[in-house]
Amino acid sequence: MPIEARFAQGPWEKLPDLLSTGRIDVVLDGYEWMPERARLMRASLPYYIYELQLLARSDTPGVERGWNWLMAEPRKKIGVLGGSAAERWLAEHCTKAELVSYDGVTNAMGDVVLGRVDATLQDLPIAITYARDFPALRATGELVGPGRYVAYVRRADEDFGAAIDRAILALRANGTLESIFKRYGCWTKAQQDPVLLALPAAGAEDGPEPAFLARYGPRLLEAAGMTVLLSIAAFPLAIALGILVALGRRYGPRWLAWPLGLYVEVLRGTPLMLQLFVIFYVLPSAGIRLDAFFAAVLGLAVNYSAYEAEIYRAGLQAVPAGQMEAALALGMSRGLALRRIVLPQAVRIVIPATTNDFIALFKDTSVCSVITVVELTKRYNIAAMSHPADVLPLAVLAGVLYLAMSWPLALLSARLERRLHA
Amino acid sequence: MIRVHELAKRHGAQEVLRGITLSVEKGDVAVIIGPSGGGKSTFLRCLNGLERFDEGRVEIDGTTLLPHMERGLEARAHRAVRSRVGMVFQQFHLFPHLSVLENIIEAPLHVAHKPPDEARARALALLERVGLSSKAHTRPGVLSGGEQQRVAIARALAMDPQVILFDEPTSSLDPRMTGEVLAVMSDLAAEGLTMVVVTHAMAFARKAATHVHVFHEGRVLESGPPGQVLEAPREAVTREFLKLSAV
Repeated sequence: MPIEARFAQGPWEKLPDLLSTGRIDVVLDGYEWMPERARLMRASLPYYIYELQLLARSDTPGVERGWNWLMAEPRKKIGVLGGSAAERWLAEHCTKAELVSYDGVTNAMGDVVLGRVDATLQDLPIAITYARDFPALRATGELVGPGRYVAYVRRADEDFGAAIDRAILALRANGTLESIFKRYGCWTKAQQDPVLLALPAAGAEDGPEPAFLARYGPRLLEAAGMTVLLSIAAFPLAIALGILVALGRRYGPRWLAWPLGLYVEVLRGTPLMLQLFVIFYVLPSAGIRLDAFFAAVLGLAVNYSAYEAEIYRAGLQAVPAGQMEAALALGMSRGLALRRIVLPQAVRIVIPATTNDFIALFKDTSVCSVITVVELTKRYNIAAMSHPADVLPLAVLAGVLYLAMSWPLALLSARLERRLHA
Repeated sequence: MIRVHELAKRHGAQEVLRGITLSVEKGDVAVIIGPSGGGKSTFLRCLNGLERFDEGRVEIDGTTLLPHMERGLEARAHRAVRSRVGMVFQQFHLFPHLSVLENIIEAPLHVAHKPPDEARARALALLERVGLSSKAHTRPGVLSGGEQQRVAIARALAMDPQVILFDEPTSSLDPRMTGEVLAVMSDLAAEGLTMVVVTHAMAFARKAATHVHVFHEGRVLESGPPGQVLEAPREAVTREFLKLSAV
């Protein structure tokens, strides 16, 4: 084909959106043929038949028994790429295992090494490519779930799609594809299966799909519950930490001032996502291995504690010095005076600012999806990935859920503010 | 009750107090007057440890405060002194987040650990005494300055102090409110409460003081009964000050 390729970067699961908005012209990145996608985009003939390879730590007892090991008690955790064919295949064929969804394939493999999950199911080319980066892992069990890697173009670009089909047929016929795949060690028997090499009809739906709300409502609601849980677990912790830091900076010994100042600046000056990555993926190398939920709560709490510390520092400064003196003159210790007289006044002063931060943290919980926590945004992404036709209503539904949760919060804080200042 | 010996304090190069020696006996009403910047308020604040000093000694009812005390020792001495010495401030410093009643029972409950019923009953009696029974459940913020200062006096009295320090208690009040507060203070003086009062209210000094001390440039310029110091001062500075205050 006389075409010059220009490569464009985008989040893998968002490539169809980039295609439909015209920012790219073809998706050619290990995308599987799926009826939902084939209805929206023009799929090419398959250029590769993938199969799924199970990977686990080679020192796991019984791992050589492959799928029998995986299906046996105790219940296993399997890491998968969110929205991937592996995720769908496992959800359908392997209900006994617990699925943990990752943003990147190497994170899933790394967590198998760490022991956070027991195994991961990956497309064969990926399992082969990354094998040398994860020597502690081994392939086990037979290959499962064959499927087609295809190129997608916009439905309107039928000519372009047909040209890609002709090119793929030519590359198959002259052995180019075979030699490429052999070079990377992923040539399998499936590459010659005539059924797989043809495209199934993408026409009709598989059956009557349940109504939109019935299909997504319960799962999105459940994920919204996780969002709420993360917020209400993390924010009180953030405030407690922040108050301690603020008190330490204002009333603590002088040597404490600059480490606390550094704490605040480092946490405010680096992105939350990076901090979550460090807690989840780097701390384990120091022997601290946290469950995803606790890592998320800790990350949010520590990140927001820096902002709360600054807010409370200002709040403490806004309480007149005479309040502390009057309390001391009545015989209170500094600690008692802080607790009973100064802090309660500081709390009233900072309520508008902390409410703001709570709503911000509430929305920042979406960042926790990078460490496998399935909250509302993540669940939306997963649903949008497997049902691309429903992207718009899904986005609206997720947005409505966020608003339905944060709005009452804002009302509540306004009421609290009025009552405390009365 | 209070013995101060050669008390000196510096702010950098500036000498605020330059060797003050002064005693207050039980039942005394010591009134401290003098031109602004003479060290009156600083002196008062040294008596209950709100200010540290550089030289000399403060003895209050058997507890001694010294310059450069070890921290733990100092904290203990401060607490011992403050449990016996109440203080009333120019700006009242009532706790705005608590009701009037809660302001008064705060220290009895959390410092003296009195039973709540007892603390409440005593607080209501004190409010009655300062003429504010009806304000027990309001917030201090809505009270007039004179009312706030009377609540502050009740708050100090609630700890049953041996002595109360008054730091310019009427300086931020208008004449009518000043009258209300001075009336309460005069009653307390008549009942035999020991008081150390920094004030510009000469009428109060004349009527209630047992001793008047004139502070000037960090020293006690002269001391004596009000009849002597206010009517026949020895020092020219005192005469000048009294002449200006009378205007």
